[in-house]
Amino acid sequence: MHWIKVIIANLYLLAPAAYAMAQTLDDLAYETVEPSRIKLGESAILRVISFGRIKDITLPTIPGLVFEPIGRSQGFDFINGSTLPATFYSIRITPQFAGVFTIPGLTPSSRPVGLEVVKGDEPNPYTWHSQQPAPAPLPTASLPKGVQLQAGGAAFVHLAIPGRPIYVGESVPVQIDVGLRAGLVTSVNGLPTLKGSDFTFNNLSKQPERREETIEGGAFVLLTWHSALAAVKPGEFELSAEAPLTVIMSALSAVDRAVASRLAFPLLQSMYSGIAPRDMTIESSPTRLKVLPLPTEGQPENFSGAVGDFQVSSDVSPAGVAAGEPLTLRLHIIGAGNFDRVDSTMFGHLDHWKTYPAKSSFIPTDAVGNEGEKVFEQSLIAAQPGDQSIPGLEFTYFNPNTRRYERAQTPAIKVAVAASLASGLSLNGASATVAAQGLLPDHRALQNSVSELRPLYFRPPFLIIPTSLALLLAGSWFAVRPRAAHATSKAAEHVLAELDAAARAGDSSSFFEAARKALLQTFAARWQIATDQITVADLKARLGTTGEDVERLFAIADEARYSDNQSGGTDFQRWLSLIRGQLAGERE
Amino acid sequence: MRASKIPMLIAGLALWAGQAFAQPSQPQYSADGLYNLANSYARAGKPGLAVLSYERAALLAPDDPDINANLAYVRASAHVSMKPRNRLARLVQAASPTSAAWLGVLGLALVGIGLVARKVARRFLWIPGGAILLGIALIALTASNALLLWPRMHEAVILIHQTPARVSPAPMADTAFVLREAESVTIAGEHEDFMLIRTGGGLSGWVARANLGAVVPPVGGER
Repeated sequence: MHWIKVIIANLYLLAPAAYAMAQTLDDLAYETVEPSRIKLGESAILRVISFGRIKDITLPTIPGLVFEPIGRSQGFDFINGSTLPATFYSIRITPQFAGVFTIPGLTPSSRPVGLEVVKGDEPNPYTWHSQQPAPAPLPTASLPKGVQLQAGGAAFVHLAIPGRPIYVGESVPVQIDVGLRAGLVTSVNGLPTLKGSDFTFNNLSKQPERREETIEGGAFVLLTWHSALAAVKPGEFELSAEAPLTVIMSALSAVDRAVASRLAFPLLQSMYSGIAPRDMTIESSPTRLKVLPLPTEGQPENFSGAVGDFQVSSDVSPAGVAAGEPLTLRLHIIGAGNFDRVDSTMFGHLDHWKTYPAKSSFIPTDAVGNEGEKVFEQSLIAAQPGDQSIPGLEFTYFNPNTRRYERAQTPAIKVAVAASLASGLSLNGASATVAAQGLLPDHRALQNSVSELRPLYFRPPFLIIPTSLALLLAGSWFAVRPRAAHATSKAAEHVLAELDAAARAGDSSSFFEAARKALLQTFAARWQIATDQITVADLKARLGTTGEDVERLFAIADEARYSDNQSGGTDFQRWLSLIRGQLAGERE
Repeated sequence: MRASKIPMLIAGLALWAGQAFAQPSQPQYSADGLYNLANSYARAGKPGLAVLSYERAALLAPDDPDINANLAYVRASAHVSMKPRNRLARLVQAASPTSAAWLGVLGLALVGIGLVARKVARRFLWIPGGAILLGIALIALTASNALLLWPRMHEAVILIHQTPARVSPAPMADTAFVLREAESVTIAGEHEDFMLIRTGGGLSGWVARANLGAVVPPVGGER
């Protein structure tokens, strides 16, 4: 009880102060003109911010200026760090001639503001030192049709879809715009989502487009996401989008806000204002979309469900190959539509070619994958050389623009297939019988095999053979001695020829002299003694009975030399025989 | 004394040579077999192994036109240049190395016998003289054949497409240049699993041993 009394006493004490503050706030207001310097033909915005209970504002009358009220809105303004409820009045000012105008305060407590109107590109004397251009004013826009501000005027969300009926499976782009009033929306708590169970949606673009606009007199930040949707069944459906936000707003009712506005003391007012960030989800108004079924009439058998507008082309790489080598056939499908249903098996079977399963890749050219290029790649191997032709590829789709099924076909591609190294390569499970040109056939008869590729003359074991042979022949060469008679054969033949000639001529003196000389030289060489040391005893001892004949020959030679005796000339042949025998090495 | 030692020495050498030849050897090579094997590799699209087998076949039968034609064809298909042989090389290598080896032995025998015959013969000395000349010619043929084949003892063929030649014998070493499959290189050295090679253009680098095949495989090891 004691504490209750204390509180009531304090309230009594504070009431006059609160009343005084409320009266003060009733009179609190200020004005701004943006921009304060404009060209003739442009407009400026006069903004009146009032914190009191002003019911209406009377527009001033100033020659040369036309005032036009734009709007009035409730909101909050920050004064010395405190958030206070305020009323915003926006008035467009359009000048009629150049000059400097003073606009008086439109509320009792607001002060006059100035507006300068220039004729053209006159330099601004207040900004002559600045090279920076003045920021462009925000573009002015209006709310999309059928869209209302939500969260106390802090934000809106708008879903833009095609107005025309779409077909089942058709991929159409959608756009979600979320408008956020500057200063009131503190954060966007996630990506906006599309609501509609009868559709499939592509992922939203990762980063929204951002722009700033003035909508209904307030600065808004507009975030735009893109996506694509496709209907799964025909009918009429509703679609909407929602976005989670955090908005600064008062949680009090209008009555409570009126009470708060009467609190004179700003601190108390801010304490009692009930303003706080609040998480909420705003939703767009539902949009109706009519989905048509695909026509069954004229639907091709190979229709894969692709709906859109496409162009096709094909190519191969490399342009020329050898038989047995792979090449890549590509089918390019470019356009806009549901690329997830764009499919092609390429060639399941192709004469003279070995085919492999195709694989595909998609390269989007927009943020949501509604436009782009899908490429199908198939590896082919030519089975035989020569000029080959790869038939054209066909792709069937439904074009929602023409509302009929269309066939797109690529032209046939000619490929020059050269002779392959792999003449016997097995293709399609069967042995190719065509021999490759340029590669000569196998040998049938096998020659003798060797155990080592190194040539014989580089192998140590083989080198034994010539080495041994060389040693053998060298040994033989050294072992074989030339015969003595052979060694002197030429000289002996020469002497014998000389003796023969002397005998035929009957010249016994020359005959016996030459015979004695030749025999002495032969004996000296044979017995290794000098010719003048050969005695009669040596002849008898070494030659035996032949020695006596030799001794007699030497005696006849002396006789013939000193007495010119020609006796014994008839015995030339016997003496020649004896001499030939001795020169030939006839041993004693 | 000397004459009695020579036959014993020769007998000992012959016994050693006989044992060496009698060792059980391992892979058997024939020109036709290698040629057919090379054709198989070529058909399978393996020009490196095909060229290696053709080169080996050409070692055994250098005058085989089929081997040379297919070797040239596969090299051209693999875009590998081939150094043409000059006339002398073609003439000298008309005989197979095996034939040349035995012709050399024959030439040596003719020279030796001619020399001995000239020592003992009394008449018709032009016959041993002619034998000596013929023997010298045969030995020269064998020596030329060996001289021309000697570089091929150190040749190798790149077996893998885009084989990197590295600046040092390490797997992570920088690549100095890249070799084509079926390209012929000269082996200049080796270190562990790498071989130092030199290309026809004079470039040198280290190539993994597994990426090339020696034309003449090392004794006891077939690549």
